[in-house]
Amino acid sequence: MFNETVLKEIDEIKGRYPDFRSALLPALYVAQREFGWLSHEAMSYVARTLNLPEAMVRGTASFYSMFKHKEAGRHLIQLCTNVSCMILGAERLVDFLRTKYGMEPDNTTQDGRFSLVIMECIGACGTAPAMLVNTDFYDNLTEGKIEEILDKYK
Amino acid sequence: MIELTIDGKKIAAEKGTTILEAARQNGIKIPNLCFDKRLKPYGGCRMCVVEIEGGRKLASACGHPVKAGMVIHTNSPKVRRVRQSVLEFLLVHHPLDCPECDKAGECALQDLVFEYGKPETRFAGEKKHAPPDVRGPLIELISNRCILCGKCVRICAQHQGRGALGIIGRGFPSVVQPAFGEILECDYCGQCIDICPTGALISKPYKYKARPWFLEEKENICPFCGVGCTLTLGIREGKILRARGKEGVGITDGNLCGRGRFGFDNIYTEKRLKTPLIKQGDEFRQASWEEALTYISKVLQAIRKANGPDVIGAIGSPRCTAEDNYMLRKFMESAVGSKNIDSSEALGYANALKTYNLSFGIKNNPAALTSPLGKDVVFVLESDLSITHPVFGLNILQAKREGSHLIVADYRKTKLTKHSDAWLNLKPGTLVALLNGIMKVIVDRGLFNRENISKIEGFSSLEKMLNEYTPDKVSGIAGVSGEALIEAAETFAKAPKRLLTMSLSASENTKGLSSALSAANLLILLGEEPSSLQILAEYCNTSGMLEAGIMPLEDAKGVMDMLYNPGSLRALYIMGEDPIVNMPNTRRIIETLKSLEFLVVQDIAMTETAALANVILPASSWAEKNGSFLNSEGRRQEIYKVVDATGESMPDWQILRNLGLMIGSNLGAKSFEDLSKEVKNYLSQKSEETKKDIKLTFHPTHYRPEEISDKEFTYTMVTRDVLQHSGIMSTRSEALRLVQAEPFLEINEKDAERHGISDGYHIKITSRRGSVYLKAKVTDAVPEGVVSTPVHFSSGMINELTHISPNTCSRLDAVKIENVQNI
Ligand code: SF4
Ligand code: SF4
Ligand code: SF4
Ligand code: FES
Ligand code: FES
Repeated sequence: MFNETVLKEIDEIKGRYPDFRSALLPALYVAQREFGWLSHEAMSYVARTLNLPEAMVRGTASFYSMFKHKEAGRHLIQLCTNVSCMILGAERLVDFLRTKYGMEPDNTTQDGRFSLVIMECIGACGTAPAMLVNTDFYDNLTEGKIEEILDKYK
Repeated sequence: MIELTIDGKKIAAEKGTTILEAARQNGIKIPNLCFDKRLKPYGGCRMCVVEIEGGRKLASACGHPVKAGMVIHTNSPKVRRVRQSVLEFLLVHHPLDCPECDKAGECALQDLVFEYGKPETRFAGEKKHAPPDVRGPLIELISNRCILCGKCVRICAQHQGRGALGIIGRGFPSVVQPAFGEILECDYCGQCIDICPTGALISKPYKYKARPWFLEEKENICPFCGVGCTLTLGIREGKILRARGKEGVGITDGNLCGRGRFGFDNIYTEKRLKTPLIKQGDEFRQASWEEALTYISKVLQAIRKANGPDVIGAIGSPRCTAEDNYMLRKFMESAVGSKNIDSSEALGYANALKTYNLSFGIKNNPAALTSPLGKDVVFVLESDLSITHPVFGLNILQAKREGSHLIVADYRKTKLTKHSDAWLNLKPGTLVALLNGIMKVIVDRGLFNRENISKIEGFSSLEKMLNEYTPDKVSGIAGVSGEALIEAAETFAKAPKRLLTMSLSASENTKGLSSALSAANLLILLGEEPSSLQILAEYCNTSGMLEAGIMPLEDAKGVMDMLYNPGSLRALYIMGEDPIVNMPNTRRIIETLKSLEFLVVQDIAMTETAALANVILPASSWAEKNGSFLNSEGRRQEIYKVVDATGESMPDWQILRNLGLMIGSNLGAKSFEDLSKEVKNYLSQKSEETKKDIKLTFHPTHYRPEEISDKEFTYTMVTRDVLQHSGIMSTRSEALRLVQAEPFLEINEKDAERHGISDGYHIKITSRRGSVYLKAKVTDAVPEGVVSTPVHFSSGMINELTHISPNTCSRLDAVKIENVQNI
């Protein structure tokens, strides 16, 4: 269930649009932020809060690849392996995450600390390789730099 | 009007019309797979592409508005090529299982491929190969055949107001299914089946029953509610196999609810009566028509001779045709010589007629199904119209979509409360108090034209009575906050165009004559016309039955005598009604029926009431005879014999005519055509009489509850209709029974917890009149302290608990409940 502050936030979002349907994406985003991922309960709850059919909420959520439908770790790493990043060694970085932290693409580490998702281009080709940790952006990655960065996410 | 040219034809279209609509209006066909006139343009399939001269690209006709001077080609080689490619892409994934697909032969996709397709394809893609979802009771989802046009999803969400389906996923793996892949639980209206352009959504009862080209399609009027939709029946070898709605056919233009679509199979129930039956000892034995009618005529004549005709009565049926009911009255008046005729509508729509008469001085005020459209405020009075009159309910939703402000007063959560702008969550049966409260606000704030209105008869007593209904007091009675009440009053009073609408039927115990009178008071106060009050007659021919004269005349006996006053009659003739199940206070009815010397029941199937009869006569069902129904609009619609009569059954009117002859009275009607003409004349004469000047009168009515819960009987019991059923007839439909086969008691989650009750538990429920056992349905749709149950099921015998009172605000019953799961 959402707490009072979140409900207020969603109310505020609802107020922005003439039709609650338009509030669906931002509300799903809030739900994902709150629960870490979109469980069936979370989507049902969004449906009830916005007075929209569950099928519409699920249908919308399932269309956008940035919504998560599996429980994620505390921190989500989204690493790009598209062309520029690949050329600059992103594949090696994946191996590094695998051996050093036990991460697997589309999986969560045993301790629940990290989830890894391999992304298509995230628009940082000029400073590749690049990744997102939660909503924080990092580029010009190396193994050492990744180690330093991930230390901050416990 | 805008002028343009399509395929060389000069046409004119209204501004804002799409090219596709403009073409349709002018008989030019543009192929399409995702268009439906009930839905917003979607532009998903690209089959409707057309060439606009001077345009850079092809345009999709369904989303493109017309412009003056446009020159459009709907069938140029370029357009045809693109359509061919669209189909080619669709067929990459679509399985070619037409040989076993129910839709083949009337499938939009198949037809278009036949017209535009080409034999070879440039692509070899993966075919979809998910197993079909066969879990739901009536609808099968075969996602492999789905072309993702989204029509089903949209009709369900936009039009049906339900939203049970979604397109889940993205790209190739997308499927149409309920939100989380659960079993489809919905209205079962089947609108999605009709609208699907492929065989991806199919009716389970009809599956593999017939190839469409072997079906003969015949139109008939739905035998259930007062909307009067036209069913397009698919018949093969003398058997009805399916019903569907067709755009442009009938008053509802292609919309149907689940009862009409699936419920016709009630005529094939094993309970159908096939021959006359005469009671011998405790058993019935088969008899010939000759024997049965001779017997009845002898007994009726003997009783009449001994006691006069006044001890003989008859009950008519809102399910039978106007002709049947007309004949029943004629039979009673001419052959028997009695005026004792009435029906279950004495507790229902007869109260609406009384209200029109008392409040407006007119005999009738037929509803208009489209009345909600274009109103600024639509106010629904403690009525679940999406259930009692589903297709009228769709019009309320449409009005709301088009900008009407929807206020719904109801004790329970319904589809209408979900879509409402304001839900006045009142306690059941307190509508009269609420309406009085609203009038009080209007009077106090001067939101009406005092100068004119105060001249109307009854105004001063109304004003005086309203003093008792301050917002505070009403809030105490009805449980609606003072602010909400005031807001509703202001909104309604200030609206330029407004509508009050409700149902009034024997099966609902939350409303009565007073409720309708209060509604009329409110409208008179606001200077409204009678047409702003829309009370919908419940059954397919409620209006026709009443018009045919099945109403007690003055100084004659009505149902209160005939069914609730033992000893009042000696003989009773019941046509097409099962009062024991259908009407309140079963015990009293049984007692009264048992006090009779002679009971005749004429029906299509065996009923609880028929079991008490001395003679049972088998009647033909609605699909087996000619006749007419008057829907809630008072519109006369003919019904036709589309299949052969079951067994030796005969149309009701014919049985009565024959019986009349036996008694020695010629009731005319040599043929149906004769009778039909006679009834038509009679009805049109009557409607001439009805045209009378309006005379307005206020009839102040107090809120006076009858039965109040106390320490012992702590719950209030509401009786109501469920969506899948309409009276008892539908409970004999195998298809509808797949959704709802047995009665249940809805109870709030918190109350259930207090009693340790879970879903499906057996509960004993007791009123001051008796006890019955029901299964619990734990829900948040009803509030705490209220339990609710449908009355349709003979296995439930809910009316053992209920009481009767014809002229009140409500007939609620106080009950207690016990958890007997483990006893
Ligand atoms: S049957 Fe009616 S309510 Fe159910 S999914 Fe289809 S359109 Fe929706
Ligand atoms: S199931 Fe039928 S109506 Fe629904 S999206 Fe698929 S093809 Fe269209
Ligand atoms: S029950 Fe009423 S709404 Fe449903 S199909 Fe029949 S007439 Fe139409
Ligand atoms: S390829 Fe990785 S950011 Fe563009
Ligand atoms: S009908 Fe126009 S795009 Fe489908």
